[in-house]
Amino acid sequence: MTAVKLAWRNVFRHTRRTVITAAAISVGLSAMILMNSMMNGVDKLASQNIIDYETSHLEIFADGYYREEGVFPLDTIIDNPGLILKKIEQISNVKSVAPRVKFQASISNGIDELPVIGVGVDIKKEKEVFKIVNSVVKGSFLQHEGDVLIGKDLSRDMDLDIGSYLTIITKDRNGTYNAFDLTVSGIINTGHPLFDRNAALISIEQAQELLAIFDGVTELSVRVRDDRNLVRTKERLVQAVGKEYEVYTWRELNAAIFEISGFKRMAQFMIALVVVIIAAVGIINTMLMAVMERIPEIGTLKAMGFNNQGIVKMFVYEGGIIGIFGSLLGCLIGLLLSLYLVHFGIDMSAMFGNADIVYPMKFIIVGEIDYWTVLSVFLFGVFVSVFVTLWPVRKATRLQPVDALRHV
Amino acid sequence: MVETINLYKDYKVGKVLFPALRGVSVKIEAAEFTAIAGPSGSGKTTLLNIIGCLDVPTKGDVLINGTNTNKLSSKEKATLRKNEIGFVFQTFNLIPVLTAYENVEIPLILLDMTQDKKRENIISILEEVGLGEYINRRPNEMSGGQQQRVAIARALVKNPSMVLADEPTANLDSTTAKEILGLMKELNEKHKTTFIFSTHDQLVMDYAQRIIRLRDGKVVADKTKKSEGPGDSS
Repeated sequence: MTAVKLAWRNVFRHTRRTVITAAAISVGLSAMILMNSMMNGVDKLASQNIIDYETSHLEIFADGYYREEGVFPLDTIIDNPGLILKKIEQISNVKSVAPRVKFQASISNGIDELPVIGVGVDIKKEKEVFKIVNSVVKGSFLQHEGDVLIGKDLSRDMDLDIGSYLTIITKDRNGTYNAFDLTVSGIINTGHPLFDRNAALISIEQAQELLAIFDGVTELSVRVRDDRNLVRTKERLVQAVGKEYEVYTWRELNAAIFEISGFKRMAQFMIALVVVIIAAVGIINTMLMAVMERIPEIGTLKAMGFNNQGIVKMFVYEGGIIGIFGSLLGCLIGLLLSLYLVHFGIDMSAMFGNADIVYPMKFIIVGEIDYWTVLSVFLFGVFVSVFVTLWPVRKATRLQPVDALRHV
Repeated sequence: MVETINLYKDYKVGKVLFPALRGVSVKIEAAEFTAIAGPSGSGKTTLLNIIGCLDVPTKGDVLINGTNTNKLSSKEKATLRKNEIGFVFQTFNLIPVLTAYENVEIPLILLDMTQDKKRENIISILEEVGLGEYINRRPNEMSGGQQQRVAIARALVKNPSMVLADEPTANLDSTTAKEILGLMKELNEKHKTTFIFSTHDQLVMDYAQRIIRLRDGKVVADKTKKSEGPGDSS
């Protein structure tokens, strides 16, 4: 018989009470784990979408372009990408580079007109850097000039299908309106709302002609071999291309999104924390009852020579045992729910519909489990259980042994 | 070995001061079998509690083996109780989730003793109190007399120099009470452990070698018998 064993027996003196308390802790903790998995999944998917469709790992602009990126300034573009392309490709970690021309435009099907972002892509290089070619769900990728690729949402909104004609209209570099008639060659489904809903992809040559920018491009997108040390690759790129260009990592380009993400994490964590606090109140209540009804027993133990420290230790073990049970259960439930998310995901699109969202992903949430978080949540649960036990026990041990014995 | 010097104890009940002890001075030698007798409210329990360091006197001193307990911290008092004093309570006060064996084991948790030695002591004391066959019973599976035997075994297992028993038979029928007293007496003679118990029951008093009578918090009589024996009623 040790103090731990004694605590163990006492924990199961009131099995139902113990189970309810442990269940309360486990609900709180499983909510924390599930939310963490969801947020990780959302972030991972968003990051993947950004890298695979929007920016790749690194992007190079002409100096000054990025500050005004929102208005697609055609007077600060990379006029002669050939000058630096070779230098970029020579950097060891660079896998490939693709030029793109992005511009504001609108498309018309003859009846309706919609604003879109035009994206001129290098048909050959595009495949080496981005994954748009893999997301063609109908028809084929761009084959030649005059082809246009649109997202499945845009095709539905504009009632366009393979072979349909559309007109793309934009202002060129000189401020003159220019337009081309194009044939829809393929429909893409990327999961990135920008490309599925708001973009029209054409060949880069056609875009350059449309905008009257000759060989100019708005950006060079760089895919690297190993993305673990992007900052170093970025530094080497900066050195290679010189001061007339700016280099950004995909994270820098999407700082706002990760800020939102951090904020959401914080908010969700707070919600989970509230649940845990409620659970903690439950434990306090249980331990308070356990202590109160056993004050004469505390007196007996004191009479036998237990000092306050020994008695506090015993009750702390009790809180710890309940905490370990509840936390194990909570982590298990949280993990199982997260695993469901990882394997099946939740389709939230019914809830959000076609709402205009800034997050670069569709609302199919796929979980991503971070086992370190699970471990720290477990330790947190045990810590809280032990911590809240201290208060009622300390109170009880302050009584004179005789008062404790007489207590009813 | 136990000496109280001019002990006073006042209880505050609401705004009224109730004096439980009013100048109690007694000296009890080692291996005595002493009853503290008196009607309820006479201060018996208070005296025992103060001797056992469960309560503190308002005034006066208690010397145990020459140590003034007033000068001890609560931790030192706990150590004194751990090593020197065994308690037997009117309401037995066994831990309900533990078996007889485990209840007796509790005082030994605190002592530096090998597992084998602990086991040997527990089994031997439980056999001495006549519970050799009940070591795995829980309190709710035992009669009152059996529970009090467990409590006595628990008080004695660490081989203390004294056992304090507050009304040990008050919750028992007279036959069982006699048995328990007989057992205590036997253990007192065998182990030379000092027994001090309180009672208001004449039957129980008859077992005592020495009777200290209290009334209204004062010693009114202190009688040591020349010859002792159970059932020797006066």
